[in-house]
Amino acid sequence: MKIGLEVHVQLPTKSKLFCPCPTTDAPAPNTHVCPVCLGLPGARPMMNGKAIEYGILLAKMLGCTVRDTTWFARKIYFYPDNAKNFQITQYDRPLGEGGVYYLNGKKPIRITRIHIEEDPGKIKRVGDLSSLVDYNRSGIPLAEIVTEPDLSTPAEAREFLGQLIRDIRHTVDLPDDGERSIRCDCNLSVGTERCEVKNVTGLRNVERALTYEMVRQTKLLKAGGKVVRETRRFDEERGVTISVRKKEMEADYGYIDEPDLGIFNVKELADSLKIKESPHNMIIRLTKEYGIDDKTAKQFVSTSVDLAKLFEDLAAATDAETARTWTSGAISAGWRAFEARGVTDASEVVNIVRKFVDGEITDTECGLRIKAFLAGTDIDSVSAGSADLDAMISRYLDENPSVIDDYRKNDKAANRVIGHVMKQTGGAHSSADIVSATKRLIVERL
Amino acid sequence: MDRETVEKVARSAHLKLTEEELEIFSRDLGDILGYFAMLDEAPDCEGFGIDPIGVADVLRDDEPYMELEPDALLQGMDTYDNYVRGPRLL
Amino acid sequence: MSHSSVLSSLSKINEKYRMFRTVTSETDAGDAKFLFSAKDNLTSKDMETCSGSRILEGYRPPFDATSIAKMREAGGLLVGKTNMDEFGFGTFSTNSAFGVPRNPYDLERSCGGSSGGAACAAAVMEGHVAIGVSTGGSICCPASFCGVYGVVPTYGRVSRYGLLDYGNSLDKIGIISSNASDLGKYVEIMAGADPRDPTSCVQPAIGARRKLKSVAVPGDATEGVSEDVKKAFKDGLEALKSMGVDVEKVEMPSLRYAIPAYYVIATSEASTNLARYCGMRYGHQDGDLSLKFDDYFTSFRSQYFGEETKRRILLGTFTRMVGFRDRYYSKARRVRQSIIEEYRSVLSGCDAVLTPTMPFVSPKFTDISKMTPVESYKADILTGPPNIAGMPHASMPCGYDRDGMPIGMQFVANHWDEGVLFSAAEEWEKNFDAVRPEVSI
Repeated sequence: MKIGLEVHVQLPTKSKLFCPCPTTDAPAPNTHVCPVCLGLPGARPMMNGKAIEYGILLAKMLGCTVRDTTWFARKIYFYPDNAKNFQITQYDRPLGEGGVYYLNGKKPIRITRIHIEEDPGKIKRVGDLSSLVDYNRSGIPLAEIVTEPDLSTPAEAREFLGQLIRDIRHTVDLPDDGERSIRCDCNLSVGTERCEVKNVTGLRNVERALTYEMVRQTKLLKAGGKVVRETRRFDEERGVTISVRKKEMEADYGYIDEPDLGIFNVKELADSLKIKESPHNMIIRLTKEYGIDDKTAKQFVSTSVDLAKLFEDLAAATDAETARTWTSGAISAGWRAFEARGVTDASEVVNIVRKFVDGEITDTECGLRIKAFLAGTDIDSVSAGSADLDAMISRYLDENPSVIDDYRKNDKAANRVIGHVMKQTGGAHSSADIVSATKRLIVERL
Repeated sequence: MDRETVEKVARSAHLKLTEEELEIFSRDLGDILGYFAMLDEAPDCEGFGIDPIGVADVLRDDEPYMELEPDALLQGMDTYDNYVRGPRLL
Repeated sequence: MSHSSVLSSLSKINEKYRMFRTVTSETDAGDAKFLFSAKDNLTSKDMETCSGSRILEGYRPPFDATSIAKMREAGGLLVGKTNMDEFGFGTFSTNSAFGVPRNPYDLERSCGGSSGGAACAAAVMEGHVAIGVSTGGSICCPASFCGVYGVVPTYGRVSRYGLLDYGNSLDKIGIISSNASDLGKYVEIMAGADPRDPTSCVQPAIGARRKLKSVAVPGDATEGVSEDVKKAFKDGLEALKSMGVDVEKVEMPSLRYAIPAYYVIATSEASTNLARYCGMRYGHQDGDLSLKFDDYFTSFRSQYFGEETKRRILLGTFTRMVGFRDRYYSKARRVRQSIIEEYRSVLSGCDAVLTPTMPFVSPKFTDISKMTPVESYKADILTGPPNIAGMPHASMPCGYDRDGMPIGMQFVANHWDEGVLFSAAEEWEKNFDAVRPEVSI
């Protein structure tokens, strides 16, 4: 089975792709519109430079080649939401081509191309008769990412999309607004002919649509039938794909280059733009560079890229194992409180751990100092708080000695202690603190 | 140009031709394309240009603003509840 | 004649010549510095804009074209929108949905096209400035047929914001007037970078007026040209020589491909530009909304587009289809590049390339109706080359045939070198005895 995706993601510009209309939510239909995005005769597009920048960042993130020049094209199709009855997109010379993106750092998924295009308006259907069109979305900038059919299962496609979207968000600082800004055209073939399911919104629906399509095509082929190349749509409520029309021959689009925008020399810009390392690539690099396991690296990065960076600073100042121990323990435990304070400079943590490594402070004192620094309190109150916590855990262990025996067989036994303490303290201590203290005290009694 | 091709092109262009028009256009388009055939012998050229002058890197800042009142833009349009009316989809 | 008395006579003049699609209802010119008209494919807030097409009947644009806005800012009063071939599709203005403008020298003949109404207004009304638009010859052709001056600046010189597109990579806004000095004066008012048209944002400033010293005449410039035109052109050349202009012969073999290449690019682009006219948003919107969208759009387009418009949409849709795109659209654009290169190389050695403007004088309407599409397309044989190359060019009257019909010659300068055309026109005017048409209303 082969699956290829065409992923549409909105670029986070403040104004539209070809006109200055705002991209924010509009108060009413057709209020964020102008002659350009309404396709009024005589109006013409003006390129938003920021959209090109975002597009290049994504092209680089996907390992695509960005050539010297790029330009736009008209894709002609008639539809009520398509203000000019052509869409300005890219054809002969997309922003980026020929990339490779690694799923879980292992499986290469080839990226055919990435290009920029404008979104059409939105249609509200009225009864069975006319359509009502809102052009507020007309001209919203999108990046379209096209993959080769390198994905093998619907679940893998979903996993790929999840990773891709996290990386895109990180690269262009896209706010996390659920799945609203992600739309997909999904191509799937079980045998030799493929079908395209257009316009599926959200990860879960992509997997559902692909799974339905996989089963449908498999059944069809088993029964001796033939898959017809066609476009289908996904009915979210019923979870089925429905044929909408025979795959349009490309001839119908009749692409021509867009003369109103000219060309864009993007090579220099592409070379000057540095992309932030994607969370995914960071995980892979951490495991390779510091020899930590995948799970730990994932935990650091998904908690915060800044936490992972602190781990690297620590490793540089001490060693990878020391850095891993403290980052997994006290630092992770206090991280949420640290972020909540709105502080960004955590370099003091490195000094504290250095003191421990140099033998100036004890293990326990190091933990307390880290905790105090992250929480922004003094060491005595932290010390008192954690003494209270230790005392409560110890009391429970005294009263329930079986926990230790059970723990020898299965470390899940610690959960009994943790659950009890949490209930008793009611949020006074972070769960990470309770977990680490419990484990420490149990291990002392083994 | 044969009538089938003219009809196919007309469909793509969203034009419905009368019998008479079909006849006229298949004759005319045949003549015109016959004339255009001289392009085949035109010497080829390496150059590329979308426009006759070099238009490059004309960019706009990403600053949102609205110049015209949306209401004024919708004035001549057939609207309902601020939506623009369009035909049936299916 | 005062500005106000011109305003009060507009309707009467128009009844006779039909150069306007719309005239202003204003009767008092106030302190207007000059009166001007604009071709009906330029948007104007206070007047309907139809581009000669029924599909846009009743359309009131919410904004002024930059060219019109700049003329108003300079003190101009817009007196009307001039009649034209539908969307610019024609050489004789006979493809307008709103009547056909009449040649001021002979009412049975054409004003030329597609800016026929503009040239007619310039010829009939003393001191009138007409904004025209040229895609493949639509300013120089009517200027020549109506015995007036017409200039088409370099592609991108005047902002196309507010121009209803025919071919975006070809359309150029210019001036038609019976006064040679108006060419430079009003192009300079309209020119300049406009952020609403990116193609206007790369222009250098218009250079100072530069005296015309030398022209090159292509060897086949008068091939297939009528005897009367040949004679007037020859006289024109002699007059130029006597003014001290060097005349040399050159070979420009690529120009013969300009017309087919021009029509391929122009119709390919036009067929996409006209996709938006479909019975929604502007123009007629009174269709049966319960029709499926394909049928709904088709019904409007079939009903309201004229015959030549349909022909060019079909042609342009075909030439960009997969399987034909490379042979027509892509090849035509490479041919355009070789034409530009040829002009540049010739113009590195002289100031302008000179030819007659049109191969014949304005034909009678009865003869036009007998012409096949290819025959009428071939009438652009001399105006097509500078237009496809985006070169600035101007038509100037250079003689009259035995019936008194005007004949023009066309000067083509290098990109951005309008200055030499402006001064050439001003110099020429001093040396040429123009015969004004007799205007009686």
